[in-house]
Amino acid sequence: MAAAVTTSAPTARASSFNTESYVDNKRRDDVRQANIIAARAVADAVRTSLGPKGMDKMIASASGEVIITNDGATILNKMEVLQPAAKMLVDLSRSQDAAAGDGTTTVVVLAGSLLRHSLSLLSAGIHPTVVSDALHRLSLRAVDILHRMAVPLDLSDRDSLVKSAATSLNSKVVSQYSSLLAPMAVDAVLSVVDPAHPDLVDLRDVKIVKKLGGTVDDTELVKGLVFDKKVSHAAGGPTRVENAKIAVIQFQISPPKTDIEQSIVVSDYTQMDRILREERNYILGMVKKIKATGCNVLLIQKSILRDAVTDLSLHYLAKAKILVVKDVERDEIEFITKTLNCLPIANIEHFREDKLGFADLVEEVSVGDGKIVKITGIKDMGRTTTVLVRGSNQLVIDEAERSLHDALCVVRCLVNKRFLIAGGGAPEIEMSRQLGAWAKELQGMESYCVKEFAEALEVIPYTLAENAGLNPIAIVTELRNRHAQGEINAGINVRKGQITDILEENVVQPLLVSTSAITLATECVRMILKIDDIIMVR
Amino acid sequence: MAVERLLKDEATEEKGDRARMASFVGAMAIADVVKTTLGPKGMDKILQSTGRGRSVTVTNDGATILKSLHIDNPAAKVLVDISKVQDDEVGDGTTSVVVLAGELLREAEKLVNAKIHPMTIIAGYRMAAECARNVLLQKAMDNKQDPEKFTSDLMNIAMTTLSSKILSQDKEHFAKLAVDAVLRLKGSTNLDAIQIIKKAGGSLKDSFLDEGFILDKKIGIGQPKCIENAKILVANTAMDTDKVKIYGARVRVDSMARVAEIEGAEKEKMREKVQKIIAHGINCFVNRQLIYNFPEELFADAGILAIEHADFDGIERLALVTGGEIASTFDNPESVKLGHCKLIEEIMIGEDKLIHFSGVEMGQACTIVLRGASSHVLDEAERSLHDALCVLSQTVNDSRVLLGGGWPEMLMAKEVDELARKTPGKKAHAIEAFSRALQAIPTIIADNAGLDSAELISQLRAEHHKERTNAGIDVISGGVGDMEKLGISESFKVKQAVLLSATEAAEMILRVDEIITCAPRKREDRM
Repeated sequence: MAAAVTTSAPTARASSFNTESYVDNKRRDDVRQANIIAARAVADAVRTSLGPKGMDKMIASASGEVIITNDGATILNKMEVLQPAAKMLVDLSRSQDAAAGDGTTTVVVLAGSLLRHSLSLLSAGIHPTVVSDALHRLSLRAVDILHRMAVPLDLSDRDSLVKSAATSLNSKVVSQYSSLLAPMAVDAVLSVVDPAHPDLVDLRDVKIVKKLGGTVDDTELVKGLVFDKKVSHAAGGPTRVENAKIAVIQFQISPPKTDIEQSIVVSDYTQMDRILREERNYILGMVKKIKATGCNVLLIQKSILRDAVTDLSLHYLAKAKILVVKDVERDEIEFITKTLNCLPIANIEHFREDKLGFADLVEEVSVGDGKIVKITGIKDMGRTTTVLVRGSNQLVIDEAERSLHDALCVVRCLVNKRFLIAGGGAPEIEMSRQLGAWAKELQGMESYCVKEFAEALEVIPYTLAENAGLNPIAIVTELRNRHAQGEINAGINVRKGQITDILEENVVQPLLVSTSAITLATECVRMILKIDDIIMVR
Repeated sequence: MAVERLLKDEATEEKGDRARMASFVGAMAIADVVKTTLGPKGMDKILQSTGRGRSVTVTNDGATILKSLHIDNPAAKVLVDISKVQDDEVGDGTTSVVVLAGELLREAEKLVNAKIHPMTIIAGYRMAAECARNVLLQKAMDNKQDPEKFTSDLMNIAMTTLSSKILSQDKEHFAKLAVDAVLRLKGSTNLDAIQIIKKAGGSLKDSFLDEGFILDKKIGIGQPKCIENAKILVANTAMDTDKVKIYGARVRVDSMARVAEIEGAEKEKMREKVQKIIAHGINCFVNRQLIYNFPEELFADAGILAIEHADFDGIERLALVTGGEIASTFDNPESVKLGHCKLIEEIMIGEDKLIHFSGVEMGQACTIVLRGASSHVLDEAERSLHDALCVLSQTVNDSRVLLGGGWPEMLMAKEVDELARKTPGKKAHAIEAFSRALQAIPTIIADNAGLDSAELISQLRAEHHKERTNAGIDVISGGVGDMEKLGISESFKVKQAVLLSATEAAEMILRVDEIITCAPRKREDRM
């Protein structure tokens, strides 16, 4: 008999229809408690990385790779949790990443705190569905409060955009460069916004290229294309072309190869010479055709079936003064063609001038120990942009990329939903205060639950203060006091170590980050609360 | 024992009371596993897979839970099967049917212990089930003639079904989605035309119904992103290379130029194929297999939108909704049925780009896009919505409606009780037991909601003693309420199926007096 059957069999017989409400529910409570404790453990793991003075985590993955990061979503993703409820928290942070891109730590810490408080509610004998319903009403109310606190924003107000990007960057490793990266993120996103759909931003139109060497200071926004590749030097071809005519080709410049198996039969040595000559002529013919269209830069897609280019074809291309970049991935082709405003060419027969893209300058630039290819001054450039991230070691670059991604997401949120809200724990304290007041108007269990959860929200300012080395209790109580006096924007100024009007300090974040954090966290907590059994299945 | 062994080694045999006991315990244990998920305040279960990936599912759906259980008890398997059948037939009530069967067996166990013959119990159960069904038939309301009322009935049914699921908070929104989708079907129960797409991100409230069809694929590079009055050819053909499919086919040549010629010929062949496809007069080509760069470019040159690598499900559905046929040869353009739609365009949901076909041939088709915080939420939402859609499509055909919230059970219990009083003989005990089992359903709903079930049920029983009452359990306020005013309805078909299959299953298990477990087939040692 299956495990589930044997364990619940005794209760099955003991309970008759009328006495059901007195069935021993210990196991159910145990499951719930175990779930909550596991989920809280996950939340505690990332707690210390919250806020501008939060700490980083070093993750050594099974493959020996080391990651240093402050990004909640990344930490949780790499943690490989097994407990099902803990897994749900990892998913939670991932959805926050997808929905808002930032606040991935906040959402988990918030969920952890809500769980801690719901545990005390459950132990007081309140039915989980009551707790869960109260939580739902609370989240609606909280979002309402956030909306009322929000400040509308105009996309032309570049300063505010930069400020909120800076807030997001301030909690990362690269915070000292926030003055450089924040405007860059804003410019990158604004340049890909299509005027026809002003509220849609596809972050795939922003390409981030990482290159080792230099410092994060050298990171730049490139109006054009950057390849983390060398120009093919095999035969001394050009490395700098002005007034470039660029072709993106998906065919190979190498000896022909058929799909059917083929072999060339050589019967005597004169034929050998002929074959070599033929090969040369064949390739020369192709190169000539390419040259005839006036093309002088060639981007060649990688091919797995055969060599995309051979030494011989490189040689001819170099002679023809054509700059070659080889091994372009297939999935990059769309981005490239969109940027260059050209069409990919899949066959030499279709090589026509109208499929080419134009740019003022294509050049190979050496950076650090490597080289990159830059294409600038593109004619009729598509709505894409490239950010070249530099850093002194791989770990810094990776973290810079993640931070930049978060900042990009923040700007995207603002484009989608044009409202700003204060940072520094101010919205959470305000929510907690208003919800606490609301709880007094409610009746019954719900009031009790709302009051408890209102307190749970204080975990954010509490943790912020704690991570910044301030006295959390003093800070939180003072915050409460200030908010009670009507200063709804009072928040923790971590840099000064005191409470100030956080809007004046330019610590702002998009409304979407806060609202999605609260809705997602409550949704996840409710789901965990409603679970009363874990069943092992195939 | 003097008798020779009848059975093989390892085969076991259980007889009489022991066998019956095993079936009762197994069936009741299964019922107890899913019991807590019943009703609007039922709990969820985590299903943790022991297989690879240790994937986690959070669900409230009885059929899903039971389907994935490891079960060794034959009686328990019967219950799992009826829940599966219920899922296939009517889509909802999968938990109720198991719980009712479990309760019937629990009652039967007591009777058996009181030395009543199982066959007497079965006879009693049959009479009671017949009587209960007649009550349902009498009390069912049919509003088919009045479209407005019928729609509101559908809304109520959808909301009642959804209220026990994860979607309960936004049940109005989803009930509307489901009703709209089902009404578009115009009476057909082919749920294939309703496509459900799950996209993580956003909240459940952001889910929407879209008329038309959405394909989760990308448009080829350099091709038009928007086509009006599209003529669509749906195909399943290799667009990489047309190889001679003879093993070991190879060509021998004596010069490089020849190789180039053959390569050229292959290209030419592809080009011809593309030309043939284009000759169908289409402007959209959807292929199940990959489209390589070369044909992709040809299509782009011809201004045709080509979609590669659409999955099986995708192309079949697309062919269905656009009214086309899946083609794999292109020699006879006149015999190929093309699909049509008004507009194809690229849309963006969340972070992903999808292809949207609107104004499709088959007007019934529509797509429901679900948004939610995580994959767990989305999966569960899909299951819930599927339940609602099933029930609704059944109700559109059989429009009889009952009230919910334990109302039909109490009604049946009352009539069955009456019957017990009139019936002479031992059967009366069984009939009474049936009535008690029916009352267990509202009891469990109340228990799950954390209410005082004993108090509520007795109140409910008193209410039902009056004629024409609409009283049922109002879980939200925690008391007895008027189900009609609260708008809690259930489909007649579902209730009837629950009643009949639960009775049948209970009967089947009751009849068992011997369990023979066959010796497991020996696996050959394959080294």
